[in-house]
Amino acid sequence: MKIHRAMIAAVLLAMSFAANAATLEMDVNGLVCAFCAQGIEKKLRTFSATDDVVVSLEQRLVAVAVKPGQDIGDDELRKALTDAGYTVKAIRRVDESIDEVRARLKAARP
Amino acid sequence: MSFLSNGGRWIAALSCAHAVLPAVQAKPIAFANGTTVMSEYGAGTMIEAQAFYAPTYWLSTGAGYLRLDSDSERRTRDIEYVRVNYLVKRWNLDAAQANVFVWGSLGRATGSDFDGSRLARNAGFQFDYETRRIYGSLKSDLWESTAFSHRIDTLQLGLAPYEHDYQDLATWFVLQARDYTGGIHRGTEWALLLRLFKGGAWIEAGLTGDGKPQLMAMFNF
Repeated sequence: MKIHRAMIAAVLLAMSFAANAATLEMDVNGLVCAFCAQGIEKKLRTFSATDDVVVSLEQRLVAVAVKPGQDIGDDELRKALTDAGYTVKAIRRVDESIDEVRARLKAARP
Repeated sequence: MSFLSNGGRWIAALSCAHAVLPAVQAKPIAFANGTTVMSEYGAGTMIEAQAFYAPTYWLSTGAGYLRLDSDSERRTRDIEYVRVNYLVKRWNLDAAQANVFVWGSLGRATGSDFDGSRLARNAGFQFDYETRRIYGSLKSDLWESTAFSHRIDTLQLGLAPYEHDYQDLATWFVLQARDYTGGIHRGTEWALLLRLFKGGAWIEAGLTGDGKPQLMAMFNF
């Protein structure tokens, strides 16, 4: 019984984390030209859950801030980037705000 | 002799200096659901204006106008056309991208050395490779009708003095070599260009070896 309760609590915690995930990050291949990468931002901003988008050629990364209580599924994200002509290597949810991600990316620039 | 026929030796020689394959010209397809307008003034030998819409990242369609002015045989060509561009293959690498594009057009051509107008057919391809520091592209564009046949071959090699990021102004120095067939221009036309782009705006400006201006502007929406 205790194990069951612990498992349920763990699942609910994980779901809560996912529902409140501030930012989604994607590692993207082919990200070398800002002129062409505009299509990524344009596509991601069509999602109703999107609050903000950051693209970093330096880190080969695209970050999407989602509105509170909303989420964008991995398959949807992968399709969006594929439809924009790029290849997604990895998707992760981070507990940083988009501004914190932006600051991290700026600090990492040579 | 056309540089394309000596392409292997040319590329090998440059590869020793830069270890680079041909990379980017302006791509004929920018991004999905995007509209691109571009115009080029090519040293008095060519003027071209185009507008394309891309419903997907691998297909765009649109229209254009091409003017060719021979500097040796006093021939002119005016061609209005509709075109389809297709991305045959893209390689998305860790820190690079390479593409193969092909296109085809049908148009109406008039010229200084023939009467009336003729149906003009066009086919072309572009191979490009780029990183944030180096790029190159090889482009060949063939126009034919019952009155003429012209091919424009363009090779560009570019070097960025710094690696631009998404919000930055990107700066490139570009060396361009261009050949025209069919009596438009004798010899290879060389040009040194400065390319700048930021957001949806892209401009290129420079001079040929003869001191003539080479200009290009492109906008994505």
